[in-house]
Amino acid sequence: MDLIRWFEEIGKEDLGLVGGKNASLGELLRAQIPVPPGFAITTRAFDIFLEEANIKGEIQKLLREIRPDSPQSIEESASQIKHLIEGSRISWELEDEIGAAYRKLSRMCQTPALPVAVRSSATSEDLPDASFAGQQDTFLWVRGMDDLLDRIKRCWASLYGPRALAYRIQMRFPHEKISMSVGIQKMVNSWNAGVMFTLDPATGDPSKIVIDANWGFGESVVSGECTPDQFVVDKVTMEIVSKRISRKHCYFTTDFETQTVQKIPIPEERQENQCMLDEDVMRLAEIGRKIELHYGKPMDIEWAIDKDLMAPGNVLILQSRPETVWSQRKRSPVIGPKSGFDLLMERAMRPFKVG
Amino acid sequence: MSQRRFPRPSEVEYPAELQGWDEMYPPYYIFSPERADWEDRQFWYHDKIHAPDPMYPWDLIFHEAWQISLSQYNTRVFCIPPAQGVAQRMVGCYMFICAVEPPPGEIIQKKAELFQKRVFYVFEHFDELYEEWLKKFKALGESVEELKVPKELPTFEPDELVFPTPRGYFTSFEIIDSYDKLVNAVIKGWQYHFEYLNLSYLAYLMFADTCRKLFPTITESTIGKLVAGAVVTMYRPEEELCKLARLAATMPTVKEILKREDSPEAKIEALSKSGEGREWLRQLEEVKRPWFYASCGSGWFHYEGSWINRMEVPFGYLKSYVERLEGGERIERYLEEIERQREKLAEEYRALISTEEDRKAFDDAYRICRKIYRYAEDHLFWVEHWFHTIVFGKMWEFAALLKRYGMIEEEEDIFLFNRFEVPMILEDMVTAYALGEGVPSRSAYWKEKARKRRAILNAARFWSPPPALGTVPEEIAEPFTVMLWGVTSEKVDEWLKSGTVRPEEVSEIKGFASSAGAIEGRARVIKLLEEINTVEPGEILVCPTTNPSWAPVFTKIKAVVTDIGGLTSHAAIVCREYGLPAVTGTGIATNVIRTGDTIRVNGDKGVVTILERAA
Repeated sequence: MDLIRWFEEIGKEDLGLVGGKNASLGELLRAQIPVPPGFAITTRAFDIFLEEANIKGEIQKLLREIRPDSPQSIEESASQIKHLIEGSRISWELEDEIGAAYRKLSRMCQTPALPVAVRSSATSEDLPDASFAGQQDTFLWVRGMDDLLDRIKRCWASLYGPRALAYRIQMRFPHEKISMSVGIQKMVNSWNAGVMFTLDPATGDPSKIVIDANWGFGESVVSGECTPDQFVVDKVTMEIVSKRISRKHCYFTTDFETQTVQKIPIPEERQENQCMLDEDVMRLAEIGRKIELHYGKPMDIEWAIDKDLMAPGNVLILQSRPETVWSQRKRSPVIGPKSGFDLLMERAMRPFKVG
Repeated sequence: MSQRRFPRPSEVEYPAELQGWDEMYPPYYIFSPERADWEDRQFWYHDKIHAPDPMYPWDLIFHEAWQISLSQYNTRVFCIPPAQGVAQRMVGCYMFICAVEPPPGEIIQKKAELFQKRVFYVFEHFDELYEEWLKKFKALGESVEELKVPKELPTFEPDELVFPTPRGYFTSFEIIDSYDKLVNAVIKGWQYHFEYLNLSYLAYLMFADTCRKLFPTITESTIGKLVAGAVVTMYRPEEELCKLARLAATMPTVKEILKREDSPEAKIEALSKSGEGREWLRQLEEVKRPWFYASCGSGWFHYEGSWINRMEVPFGYLKSYVERLEGGERIERYLEEIERQREKLAEEYRALISTEEDRKAFDDAYRICRKIYRYAEDHLFWVEHWFHTIVFGKMWEFAALLKRYGMIEEEEDIFLFNRFEVPMILEDMVTAYALGEGVPSRSAYWKEKARKRRAILNAARFWSPPPALGTVPEEIAEPFTVMLWGVTSEKVDEWLKSGTVRPEEVSEIKGFASSAGAIEGRARVIKLLEEINTVEPGEILVCPTTNPSWAPVFTKIKAVVTDIGGLTSHAAIVCREYGLPAVTGTGIATNVIRTGDTIRVNGDKGVVTILERAA
């Protein structure tokens, strides 16, 4: 049936089955890059759900009723589709398959009712930025089957969220050509987390790896809620060439009472401590280099250091995608067709600024 | 930015104890009212790299020589278009220099044409040209070595100089002639010195530009690593010592003698008593010339000495090398490994370049720079070390003669007279000698002058000149000013600040980030090589500069801070090899830091922080 695929069983050829996000996790594992363990619920499972719930026709009808120029009509259809999907039952057969995989994952991590991240992973055969067309929803710290099934349905429904619909309408992209897979992944109990670019996003310098880091989950870094510490590593010499330690006023972590993510203020006297160990910076940079080498292009990576795991296995990659800003620029020469003599002449003619 | 200004040269106030300082140096070295218009318009700064301390008048000769030579290559020979020369002035007893403002536009255009024609030619033919250069430079040094300085003034010239035909010139002329030849050789040697140096620096700066265009945030120390070669003549003296130590390790009696605490003379005496020892001494004799003509300092000052006349230095190293070999350590540098790493580094950066065109430009820039940069690395041994050792050797011979005939009190006093005055003393001496028995010279006049000058130099040590004078220019085109003296906007700002701060109030100093890593530890300030044995394992060495004479200490310490030297200085290169953090070219470290202070050396940023002052 191919309803469940473990990340180890996924490669980029499975894009149509597991979506971009899941496929890239499988790719990372194939390249020996550590990611939190987990599995994908395939688009086939979504198709079966729609058929068994018998809501496919109704969804198509609601989609047809949308008046492209009316945001209100988009909102209305989106809300009704969401209701349809979330209100339908997942069949016993499908639930059994998901449940078996979830229990296996819990056993692997030696935690009953393992907290997981549930992420939507949109697919499309010919839309490169499927993630945007599908408007990725992510639910963190999900525990137990009931919640898991609920969040899976919400991920599915996000395929028809108002922003996703509006985007596809704007791009004149047919709704039926896109589908949704869901990734279920061990929730990283992160000590540090953040983002990493395998080039300098400020200058485009391809010889640098730039790491933004804070304590706790990566949300504080990704959302821009907190100015992270920044480490710049030279890819070639593998030295930390600069460190910018920022005043970090908050971080995100789990509240064990409510099992939710909470923003915690950082005490004044700790705000300007370096959040991450130099050794971890270096290990992370090594992994960044490996990822870039694997994909053959500059990458934008989300990462975390799991406090449940032991070094060196504690550095985990959560997501990785091609860097877009510099990569989309035309690769035009920086220097151009100049000989060493031309450059020498240039140097000789141009004084150095002092004033 | 509004124009930044330092005091005018005429505004400098000198302490009374320095009175008379200006008579020690040639008159054109003194700021003067008739040139004030021009002088006020330039930007003068204290050359802490070559002249951190008060300048002995005779030692100025090398600077006199480079002022002419460096400048004329920029202006008259290889014609770096907007660059003019580097001018010098004395302020108190400290040497100030300035990159002269650019010439008029039409001159720049003319120079650009000549630059293309001449400089490109040099780069095309550099390998052959360097061979030629070395040949003529060695011939010059050897000619100085052959100069005859009589040990005494003979009461009567010997018969051989009269029969069968009188030679026609005698001891008096020989003395005058040898001194003139010595001085001319120094001037000429320094003309040779700059033959390719300006171009090497320019090529380095060009390559650094190219790297920064491709990799905007590449560090200076990485560029240094890409350019610096491992097989450099400056390391030969150390390599020869390693070989001698290896040989000694196979000779039990030699090894045992070298490990003793005796003087070099006693060791040589003991060695000459056994066959093995004599064999080893024969090897030593073979490498002494030229490889022991290594200065114990920078080579610029008469008081530094060289291995050849301070044999306790190489023997000290031999002792430690022999002991380390016994302990199973390797003493040689990993030359092939260093070369391999440099090639790998270049290869990996190259692979990051995304277009074919840029890769080609990088390759060509790198090729040109690597080709000629070896000159910057190799000339140092031949000029500042080997040649200067010979020159100072001759000067000490003249000094011994002057002392013997009562013209000066101490031999070292000869260096209290500038190069134009020494021939007067020599002539005074030989005139009195020629006149016959019982004729006085003006020795009392010279001795009095020497006493006075010694007092002035001592007083100057306790006075600090302002860091800079005159008007800060918007831009500088002269390659040495940027690369060697590191004059940048930040440096000028620091100078502007520093006038008001006392050394003990400084808590952070900046220099070149020469070798990566950061570490804290206890500082050990070493001003002279003789003090090197006081360094304790695990300390941070703070010193004016290092050269291969200092090499053995690098295995003991955990970081280095120097006053003088850039990214390709000896300290920088060796620290990168040993993985020690280094900040070089701080200008003031040995003045600001005291032994026992706890300091933090950040070799990534080029910053040294004084965390805690020694009690």
